[in-house]
Amino acid sequence: MKLGLNFLSEDEKQRIHKDSIKILSEVGVKFMSDKALKVLADNGAKVDKDSRVALIPEEMVTQALSTAPNAFVLGARNPEFDFQMPSSYTGYTLDGAATFAIDFETGERRNALTSDMIASLKIFEELPLGTVVWPNVHCDDMDQGNYNEVRPSFVSLINSSKHIQNELHRPEEVPFMIEGLSAILGSEDAVKERKIFSVCYCTIPPLTHDGEMCDTYLELAKFHVPILPYPMPAAGSTGPASLYSDIAVANAESLSALVLFQMAVPGTPIIYGHAAGITNFRLGTFIEGAPETTLINGALGEMAHFYNLPNTQGGCLSDAKVAGPQAIMEKALGTLPLVLSGVDVINGIGEVDASQLLILEQIIVDNEIALMCKRIKDGINVSDAKDYYNDVAQVGAGGHFLMQPSTMKECRSDEFFQPELCDRNTFEQWAELGNPNIYGKAREKVKEILAGPQKNPLPDDVIGKLEEIQRKADEALSH
Amino acid sequence: MSVQDIFNAINEFRDTEIVNLVQAEVDAGTDISEILDNGLIGAMDEVGKKFGEGLLFVPEMLMAAQTMKAGLEVIRPLLADSDTKPRGTVIIGTVKGDLHDIGKNLVAMMLEGAGFTIIDLGVDVEPQAFFDAAKENSAELVAMSALLTTTMPAMEEAVKLIKDAGLPTKMVIGGAPVTQAYADKISADGYSADAPGAVELARSLIPGD
Repeated sequence: MKLGLNFLSEDEKQRIHKDSIKILSEVGVKFMSDKALKVLADNGAKVDKDSRVALIPEEMVTQALSTAPNAFVLGARNPEFDFQMPSSYTGYTLDGAATFAIDFETGERRNALTSDMIASLKIFEELPLGTVVWPNVHCDDMDQGNYNEVRPSFVSLINSSKHIQNELHRPEEVPFMIEGLSAILGSEDAVKERKIFSVCYCTIPPLTHDGEMCDTYLELAKFHVPILPYPMPAAGSTGPASLYSDIAVANAESLSALVLFQMAVPGTPIIYGHAAGITNFRLGTFIEGAPETTLINGALGEMAHFYNLPNTQGGCLSDAKVAGPQAIMEKALGTLPLVLSGVDVINGIGEVDASQLLILEQIIVDNEIALMCKRIKDGINVSDAKDYYNDVAQVGAGGHFLMQPSTMKECRSDEFFQPELCDRNTFEQWAELGNPNIYGKAREKVKEILAGPQKNPLPDDVIGKLEEIQRKADEALSH
Repeated sequence: MSVQDIFNAINEFRDTEIVNLVQAEVDAGTDISEILDNGLIGAMDEVGKKFGEGLLFVPEMLMAAQTMKAGLEVIRPLLADSDTKPRGTVIIGTVKGDLHDIGKNLVAMMLEGAGFTIIDLGVDVEPQAFFDAAKENSAELVAMSALLTTTMPAMEEAVKLIKDAGLPTKMVIGGAPVTQAYADKISADGYSADAPGAVELARSLIPGD
């Protein structure tokens, strides 16, 4: 059987759901957007105009859950990378958006650049479980004067053929984004149909929605763009100081986003997501790589199953300041339980320092963690096909199985995972090879990928169109 | 009963006892500046030191600050008659376009605990509002916070407004994506990675007597 894991019992899920409903209907949620408040008031929420708080009754949640699609495909520019949600296996998001990157040549920690993002996308294109691209760094070399979120979105679409997920911050960015997607796919209808671009929507904990971003997404919803609500309450500061209540608040925030977008445009695809965490009580900062983070986001992944919604959860994360043991330990421990519980997409490949530092080698290391977790999740196949009693009878007591045809067949099959980075040499071989370590091997792999050609490039004429749209966007959106 | 008891009560977060302890000292005729400097502010200096060394957690530090503030309220009416004065006025806020304020609030509470007068402009604060508040209050310091890389340029605008107008106000910045290099680039007077560092920074930029 495939391995499973439960973070919450059925009763506990019911209890958290009820708590979240109580938070929504009695405490309420603050919306900085007038449009959002109007949508909510028109659909039965009690809105206080002064405080901008909407009390959302249970009926609205029930209604929203009935119109939100339970399944859809996150399309990709290359249809081979289309990702069905919910998924039979766990996919991964390229983590973002870091301010800093380790320079691949010098090893220096410096501000991240567009070239770092392009290199990351080229590597991510090769990962078998890499599903969703986040523009993973904030590019310091993009002109700040007319910065707009269309830019990293287009850079991603040009340099990756996988599904792209970004944030947009201003309603004026929407027409340029849709024009770009139409240039790639051929028509606006294809944009609605294929869904090669989705957006991440961070609420501001506790229980607040940004104004401009909210307006932007109300606009995007008209084009059937999937929305990933992504609350990040930190238990003990921006969330209450127990995992249980932090989960209830995060769940309430996601439900409030679900309600808003379903009321505005029924049928909007919602990826039920969370990147909740805990507070570093020593400094007040947000912690990503803690055991509690895994418990919180794992439980919220189960709430997604409870609501029958596809989901993304923060998982393969670390607070380490450099590549090394802490990064690997936190990421591995944070990823496996989420994989076992059946999360559709785990967010967090390639960064450390609470998603503030990109390390190209870490992308390859995280890939190996993901593959190992998948092997454990796939479990033990106890079926007739794997019943090798006849081999046992043939070999009998003593002897060996090395020459059996089944061994020949299985030694390179999925039955046995073969790591690329973890060392399985003898000590002598390992010493002979110059004491290779995980990050050194990952570095060789990065070099190899970066030296190779770009896979699945966009046709030049489409790139030309995107560049032209970008020029128009830069002009229109300059601050 | 002694000033040491006040000092201890703050370090042990005994917020319900502090009012009586301070009142007792006032009634006993202890010098107000002695209660303030060696009792209340002295205790917060110790709390700040322990926090900086990682010995105290944020909720404990905040409880100490709240305890200190309750004690301060007792002597506030008497302060005007004494020769003590506040350490300086700090304008603080999260910059335009940014609604994230937990770090900013933390810095504000710690600065208040350290004896500064705080004027908190809240979140999404226009550069002009920092300027106006600094001018109206003759503030010694403006402290700005940003969590989003996209809102950092608002810091540069505010620094420019205040420096161009020739105000003597010092400008400091902080927030997850902010660095010393960025502070240097926009000609801010200082940067701190965390709240205790911000207090140290404020002290170094506004020397007491």
